Amino acid sequence: MDIKFERYTFGKRLKSMLKVDFRRMFGTKLFYIMLGISFVVPILILVMTTMMDGSVSVNPQTGEETIMEAFDSAWQIIGTVSGETASTDTAAMSMDMMSMCNINLLYFGIAALVCIFTAEDFRSGYAKNLFTVRARKTDYVISKTLVCTVGGMLLILSFFIGTMLGGAIAGLPFEMVGFDVGNVVICLLSKMFLIAVFVPIYLLMSVIAKQKLWLSLLLSLMTGMFLFMMIPMLSPLNATIMNVILCIAGGVMLSTGLGAISNQVLKKTSLV
Amino acid sequence: MNAIEIKSLTKNFKEKQALCGLDMTVPVGAIYGFIGENGSGKSTTEKIICGLIHESGGTVKLFGKSHTDPDIRAKVGVLIEAPGCFPNMSVWNNMMLQAANLDISNAEQEVVKILKLVRMEGAAGNKYKNCSLGMKQRIGIAMALLGNPALLVLDEPINGLDADGMRIMREVLTDISKSGTTIVISSHILGELEKIATHYGIVRGGKMIKEMTAAELEADCRTYVALQAKDMSRVKAILSCKYSRVEEYEAGYIRVYDAVSPEVIVSYLYENGIIITEIGTSKIGLEEYYIDLMEGK
Repeated sequence: MDIKFERYTFGKRLKSMLKVDFRRMFGTKLFYIMLGISFVVPILILVMTTMMDGSVSVNPQTGEETIMEAFDSAWQIIGTVSGETASTDTAAMSMDMMSMCNINLLYFGIAALVCIFTAEDFRSGYAKNLFTVRARKTDYVISKTLVCTVGGMLLILSFFIGTMLGGAIAGLPFEMVGFDVGNVVICLLSKMFLIAVFVPIYLLMSVIAKQKLWLSLLLSLMTGMFLFMMIPMLSPLNATIMNVILCIAGGVMLSTGLGAISNQVLKKTSLV
Repeated sequence: MNAIEIKSLTKNFKEKQALCGLDMTVPVGAIYGFIGENGSGKSTTEKIICGLIHESGGTVKLFGKSHTDPDIRAKVGVLIEAPGCFPNMSVWNNMMLQAANLDISNAEQEVVKILKLVRMEGAAGNKYKNCSLGMKQRIGIAMALLGNPALLVLDEPINGLDADGMRIMREVLTDISKSGTTIVISSHILGELEKIATHYGIVRGGKMIKEMTAAELEADCRTYVALQAKDMSRVKAILSCKYSRVEEYEAGYIRVYDAVSPEVIVSYLYENGIIITEIGTSKIGLEEYYIDLMEGK
């Protein structure tokens, strides 16, 4: 009996893998929960910090008083203008708050998204179905990187919409000092493309840890931490097209390099 | 052409050697019963065939090409251990996801057809995690059947199935085998396997100890005369003087292997003053053949 096998080209394989991943990403509650969190968090931060503006907290041991400072403008939760420096203690504290509670937190959220998304393949056993019909692991790595990047971009967009709403509710000014609307758009684009730098790192950690979600999360957060500080530098509020190019270049380089390593990890290790 | 051709396959897990030079040949269109004790290397071999783990040595060819060939692997259906389904998704969504994975163009029609085939059409809306063990097993088989695979690898597919489920599975597998699909099926329920398998491979300690067709098994399976009488221990002693293999079997029966005919035994025992209450001839089945082989009889 002679059996003819259809040519399963890279394009076909990638198309089917993308179909699977997009169907999963947009078909699971987790993604919508994260989208909701990304929307609600800036509203909560902006409204609560505005409500607490000027309140004094006293350190019971030293008796030292600290005045709570709110955001000066809604844009501060999106980013800072590069070149800005903290001149006073209050400004320094305000900078601390900004560096802690802003859009950059999403890059940790994206770690959770990538890790849960990938670990579920292995935990459910679906990886057996995937890899039995996929001798090449590249389609898996490329598809996961693309889909998680798109997912992360949507989280950024959701955070931005939440910021607009939160700023309006909190009555914060939308004044643009040192940047304009075009810069904000470019800043958001930079942040979106910067996700492509983080996703391959998280994906590599996830394929190393496979079904061990805790391990992939731990490794992802640890490695993500090293790159966390460069986010404000690469995507300031007064970002230019050069920032976007840099972020795209970084994303492509890391996706290619780390993607190749992820591919090797999948090729060399047991998939069940 | 052979659907599977494995030569000198080895697999080491750290210190433990799971496969030590296993050879295996599965002709196209065969239903290959893959038999062995727990830990003998069946699942390891199946996982290597499907590319889920990597061999330490040896060669694996599927339809004459390397088992890493993407064109070939796209036509392999698998059910190894538990079915690979997302627990919080419905059966339908899990099936549709697999249809997307296989790039099936008329996915909805295909999924409906396969679910009907395994009699699971009524459970399509159920969440996978809420399905019973037997239902999960049928879903796993349905997923493996999607996309009209050329090779189907099933590890213990009838575990957890009720009698009706087993019958349905038997019919389904026989039907798809007729359309040219090669099936490798490992199971400990040898009685069921015997009803459908056309070829057998018996593995022990990571090595193939016997490969044969169903016809060869039939020829190899010895006939015996089973009998019952009042004084069984005396009967056994008398028969043991004349026949090389006389064994006491369950429920007070004695089996005389390779005996000429029941009539000869009846007259021989009659001469020795023993009256037989029941006697008949039969053949040993796959299960007993396997046990005999394992025990070196």
